[in-house]
Amino acid sequence: MNPRVVIANLVVSIKSFYREKTAVFFRIAFPVLLILVFGTIFMDKDNMSFDLCVQDLDGTKASEQLVETIEHSGRFKLTTIAPTINATQYAKDHKTNLLISIPEGFEKSMMQRLTLDDPDASVTFTVVYDPSSNAASTKMQALDLVIAAMNQEISGKPPFIRSVKTSILAHKYRFIEFFVPGIIAMTVMTSSLFGAVNVNAELRQKGVIRKLSTTPITRTDWILSNILYQFILAVLSTIVILLVSYAVFNVSLQINAWLSIFVVLDVFAFVGLGMILTRVANDAESAAAAANAFMFPMMFLSGTFFPVEMMPGFLQKLARILPLYYVNEGLRASMVSSDNLAALKYAAVIGIFAAVVFVLGIMTTTLSENAT
Amino acid sequence: MTREAQHVIEVENLTKRYGDLLAVNDISFTVSRGEVFAFLGANGAGKTTTVEIIETIRTPTSGKVRLLGMDVTKKKRDLVHRIGVLPQGFNSFDRITVRETLQYYSRLFCRRNADVDGLIAMADLKDKTQEQFMNLSGGLKQRLGIAVALVNDPEVVFLDEPTTGLDPRARRGVWKVLLGLKNKGKTIFLTTHYMEEAESLADRVAIISKGKIVAIDSPGNLTENNANYMVLTLQSVDERTFGIIREVGFEPVHDNHRNIKVRVERSDDVRKILNAIQAGGATFIGLDVRKPNLEEVFLRLTGEALHEEPAGESGTE
Repeated sequence: MNPRVVIANLVVSIKSFYREKTAVFFRIAFPVLLILVFGTIFMDKDNMSFDLCVQDLDGTKASEQLVETIEHSGRFKLTTIAPTINATQYAKDHKTNLLISIPEGFEKSMMQRLTLDDPDASVTFTVVYDPSSNAASTKMQALDLVIAAMNQEISGKPPFIRSVKTSILAHKYRFIEFFVPGIIAMTVMTSSLFGAVNVNAELRQKGVIRKLSTTPITRTDWILSNILYQFILAVLSTIVILLVSYAVFNVSLQINAWLSIFVVLDVFAFVGLGMILTRVANDAESAAAAANAFMFPMMFLSGTFFPVEMMPGFLQKLARILPLYYVNEGLRASMVSSDNLAALKYAAVIGIFAAVVFVLGIMTTTLSENAT
Repeated sequence: MTREAQHVIEVENLTKRYGDLLAVNDISFTVSRGEVFAFLGANGAGKTTTVEIIETIRTPTSGKVRLLGMDVTKKKRDLVHRIGVLPQGFNSFDRITVRETLQYYSRLFCRRNADVDGLIAMADLKDKTQEQFMNLSGGLKQRLGIAVALVNDPEVVFLDEPTTGLDPRARRGVWKVLLGLKNKGKTIFLTTHYMEEAESLADRVAIISKGKIVAIDSPGNLTENNANYMVLTLQSVDERTFGIIREVGFEPVHDNHRNIKVRVERSDDVRKILNAIQAGGATFIGLDVRKPNLEEVFLRLTGEALHEEPAGESGTE
């Protein structure tokens, strides 16, 4: 290994990178855009309030108080519609996915229940909803909670079952704090995988590798300089992602040694995979296509954008065989929940994967032409 | 004088197979120090395979190849410091400038004091030092490739098809650089399918066809020994001339410019044809008698035509 040769190669790679504007965009600006867009969309997810249409057919003091109670629950932003309007037609015309109609006689029935203690006195609300809307079912669950609380209060008895909530986290984390480690893992993966594929396949196809094979540069020099280059890019993109996350969203994440460990393992795993794909594919286009075939399932199935637990059972099993899943979960274990034991477990899995593919990558990478 | 001093390249019974394809078939030759040696052949004749084996890029199926006295299959690491290579269709890093490219390759050879400015001047690239590789024309890329091949001040320079795909102007620019190298006394191994290139640059030419060397000598000797006839060319607008030549027993043909060409064995034949034309009352505007060139020798020896590659890209020449 010759350090001067490694540095010379590294300098050429870095110069090529910053002079290629699309590379800078996809490796630095694109993950930042993802953070900004998703962070903004889900900024108020934890304190989200839903739109709800209410029609008061009773028009009494009691029904007015009911509407106020629903509004004060903090879960809904209400839109009231006139009693003369057909509720179902209104929902269809205005693409309203949930509408509640308070029936005539609401106050009378409530008085019967409260003053005469008549157990048969009850009212039935009409709920008009759009079954094709995911948001409608979430809203209905929230509405059921509000109604259950009101029923409890009308019954005049304290609840029998109570619950006390204890969080396993030091404080409540927001979606953006779940999202940032996933974006770091994904960005390092894509830049390492495509970096290895581009450097090796494209330069081989263009004949640059053939020229290099007539110089003193060795395979070790070549691979080491490429790994260093990918590591520099990974550190750079991670720093930019964290800076933007802190500056714009004031995230609360633990920055510790695990972050460096997972970034290094991420680089080794996917540079190794890229080197193998380059050797297996016939040309640069095939190698890039093969890299895409690996990258897209990992991006969407390994818990980068949403928790794996949200996926169906078979996809959860699939996620657990994807290497990026272990980087995502490892980074979250260390950065979000400060769980060193879990981080160690995930690091061990991705570490073994990285070691195997990187060794295979070294074995398949050669600077010479076919040595038959 | 040692054998290495005499012959910098020694190829003995070299054979290279790719599966069932026999690319190089039992060839032997030597190249002397300071010699410009051209490998002339059609596309797919085995030129690049042979040169890449000598350059240590590929390994032979059988046979021996010694470069600078060393076995190319065993001493690659020693040899790369002593040779310079311009691969076929030289390419480099797109976003790296001319000067940076030369500095990069100098560093690969650990040549801190490489004369980058001298190489830029030699390749006539002074106006292009800050130009990125991707913005260079085909001719400029090849000239840069030649400069890169010289960063380690090599004893032997391999130039694989240095002008293929270039337009005539760019080709002459590269030839000018190669003539400069020749004048410096570098040993040059050149592969080409351009006759004019081989004729004007090479001390010796090996003609290769279907993996076999069919002739090897100086360009002059090749034409002298393999084409002992002359070609009489007549510029004539008189339709009768063609028939008169046939009547006296020769086989005239028209070339692309409607000139009449006649193959003659002796100078007496020329006189006989001219006398017959005069006696027949026909006329001609001009005449030329010359020995056949290397291309005609190549055609005669190989039965193959040398095809021109498409002209190179145009760019910031």
